[in-house]
Amino acid sequence: METLSNIVTYSLVHATLRMSTPVVLATLAAVISRQGGITNIGIEGIMLFGAYFGFVSAWVSGNWLWGVAASVVAGVVVSAAIGIVHLKHNTHIFVIGFAMNMLALGGTRFLLQQMFNVSGALLVDKPVTLPILRLSLAERNPVTASLFSGYSLFELLAPLLVLGVWYVLYRTAAGLRLRSVGLHEPAARSAGIDVYRVKMRAILLSGVFAGIAGAHLSMGYSSMFVENMTNGRGFMALAAANFGGGNPIYAFLGCLVFGLSDSIAIRLQSTGIPAQFVLMVPYLVTVAVLTSAMIGHSRRSDAARIARKLTEEIQGKEIRGKANEKGKGS
Amino acid sequence: MDPVVQMRNIHKQFPHVKAVDGGRIDIQAGEIHALIGENGAGKSTLMRLLYGMYPLDSGTISVGGNVFSAPGYSTKEAIRMGIGMVHQEFMLVNELTVLENVILGFEPTLRGGRLDFSRAEENIGRYIEDYGLDVPLGRTVKTISVGTAQRVEIIKTLYRGAELLILDEPTAVLTPQETEQLFSILRTMRDGGKTIVFISHKLGEIMEIGDRITVMRAGKYVTTLNKKDTNPAELASLMVGREVPGDKPRVRAASTETVFSVEHLYVASDRELSTLRDVSFSIRRGEVLGIAGVDGNGQSELIEALTGLRKIQGGTARLFGRNIVGEKPRAIRAAGLGHIPEDRNVRGLNKDFTAAENLFAARIDEPRFGGWGILRKGAILGYAKNLIETFDIRPAAPEVRVAALSGGNAQKIVVAREIDAEKGFLIACQPTRGVDVGAIQAIRDTLNQAKARGVSILLVSTDLDEILTMSDRIVTLYKGRITSELVNENVNIESLGLAMMGGAQS
Repeated sequence: METLSNIVTYSLVHATLRMSTPVVLATLAAVISRQGGITNIGIEGIMLFGAYFGFVSAWVSGNWLWGVAASVVAGVVVSAAIGIVHLKHNTHIFVIGFAMNMLALGGTRFLLQQMFNVSGALLVDKPVTLPILRLSLAERNPVTASLFSGYSLFELLAPLLVLGVWYVLYRTAAGLRLRSVGLHEPAARSAGIDVYRVKMRAILLSGVFAGIAGAHLSMGYSSMFVENMTNGRGFMALAAANFGGGNPIYAFLGCLVFGLSDSIAIRLQSTGIPAQFVLMVPYLVTVAVLTSAMIGHSRRSDAARIARKLTEEIQGKEIRGKANEKGKGS
Repeated sequence: MDPVVQMRNIHKQFPHVKAVDGGRIDIQAGEIHALIGENGAGKSTLMRLLYGMYPLDSGTISVGGNVFSAPGYSTKEAIRMGIGMVHQEFMLVNELTVLENVILGFEPTLRGGRLDFSRAEENIGRYIEDYGLDVPLGRTVKTISVGTAQRVEIIKTLYRGAELLILDEPTAVLTPQETEQLFSILRTMRDGGKTIVFISHKLGEIMEIGDRITVMRAGKYVTTLNKKDTNPAELASLMVGREVPGDKPRVRAASTETVFSVEHLYVASDRELSTLRDVSFSIRRGEVLGIAGVDGNGQSELIEALTGLRKIQGGTARLFGRNIVGEKPRAIRAAGLGHIPEDRNVRGLNKDFTAAENLFAARIDEPRFGGWGILRKGAILGYAKNLIETFDIRPAAPEVRVAALSGGNAQKIVVAREIDAEKGFLIACQPTRGVDVGAIQAIRDTLNQAKARGVSILLVSTDLDEILTMSDRIVTLYKGRITSELVNENVNIESLGLAMMGGAQS
């Protein structure tokens, strides 16, 4: 009981947001490309490039804005390459996406060695990080301080971006066009929509968000660059986008579940449970959430509903039939 | 009067076939222009070129005085010139609402790109009233009927400012009554000044709705006629290029032995409309039972259930006395079932394989074609050559890939394989869909010969003419229930049409 109260405290709110934000930003990248009918598995690699170039540029220039700008540029360049290879030259997205992920992994390691002569991680004395927003009014009390203050820039911006992406997808002409392309390409084409352009734009915008996700990872979530620091977050983002059915708000909720389980896992480590088990928790939760979402979805599907109804009808008939037989017998 | 559209010297080559080979057409304002020809005559391709869906190989298109030639003509351009097209396969996004589908690509927006739904509804309301095009704007497309979806397609083109409307075989998916309704809408539109191109191969319809008629054959322009100067017989011979032998009179089955029967069959579907409830019928030896109905009323589910591809939730199905409910497809085939699937490209053929491989596929376990995991190519080719000759499949090359064959010849491969399997019971679904007239006759003859040998056939077709020429008895399926069962003698088309819409249920 005591352990539980040590784990579930008010500070879990902040921790959850902190742990989920890198995935949330990547999830927006996944949602946008998914709505255009593309499972962009290259997000992981784009994020890693974004993290590297963002951190290095910010440190060299001394200004975090240059860092974010570099991340966005890196994101757009890499996603443009993915877009051209996938859309123009008809390569399967998994092939080019996977290639980009491997390029990002090896490329950043190579650049670390060539530029800084280090391997593993780039730690610097005075890293330039994203601004942390403090609310002096809230800081007077430790509880309100934890709940309302000390958030990194994108931890606050991410929920707003989620709403913004939702608005564009479901309330604007551009969003309607993107969704129609993802749902039924021939219909979009027959409406005179330039499918190639719509998809390309979606991939590029996806690159912008994945780049920002990388910037946040190396400059907000942490203050260093580590090899493979994305550690599967790009794939978690794809899972979250899938969980939300392409709707950014549901996908965001999915990310919060991941973030919550991550935070709890970290706290469990101090309770003496073997670390190997504790570190499994977030992944187990991910699998559990996705599975239950899928089961729920298939149970709610029209096919399942109709099948259940039909079985009830047949059983009803049988019962009535037996009752009739009994009636005749007596 | 000057034509609004002139197409001249149109050529279009597809990978395996020259679809249009010197096509032309003159369309005048305010007419209903029927474009007719056999399947594969190039009618749809010619009109898709007019709608800018494919680039032209060569030729010119002039629309209202603007001349276009290859390339530099696109769907966007066609829409701008006031051309709209309703395709055979609807171009609707199932998950979006009717309203969203209509405005897609031409959305009225407020500041900041925000969709202006109320203005959209206002604009569309006009067409609904003017032409009697009743549609529920707020429903998602997957919940509306096929007839309604077609009206959505028409509204879509009008909303985009179409003055010239192309309809590609619009009646293929409709009941006779829905067809009447469509025709009255089209006449209202013509009288309101719109121009309509009506693609079809059904002569009766063309004589009813067309003002002028252009005939195409094998990708070429044949002639253009006024309806009042021609007759169905002349049109038929122009379409085919020779006299068309009619269907031979049906021979009735004499046997009383029941080969196949289903009782109180229940099968779930993903849609309420096609969920089967309490379906019962039986087929005697050497009999053809036709299942008539509008596409999507449970035909696909029935076939899948009987062939073991879909779960049966209640009832019995007996083939040669054996209950096949819950059996695997392979076991049902072994019990004596042959199956010509409704879509040959999905279940009938592997298009990347050769004709020979597709032909012998059902006999792959026979020792004469190999053993120990090794196939005997010589035996396979010999067997295939034999079938190719018997069933007149062209080209007569067993090693050609099926993807390179025409629809008619590809279908003949399926028919040849299933007939040669010598099963006592054959399920034939849409056996002549997307097949040219010559092949239609050959396939029907093949089926009739099998029938004469004592094979029982369950014929499922949305083509009412086919049901009426082939069947001994007819059962109508509507919303997953059997609404009428009758012997095919002096059948009243009107009442059959009503039964297909559930009218005869009471």
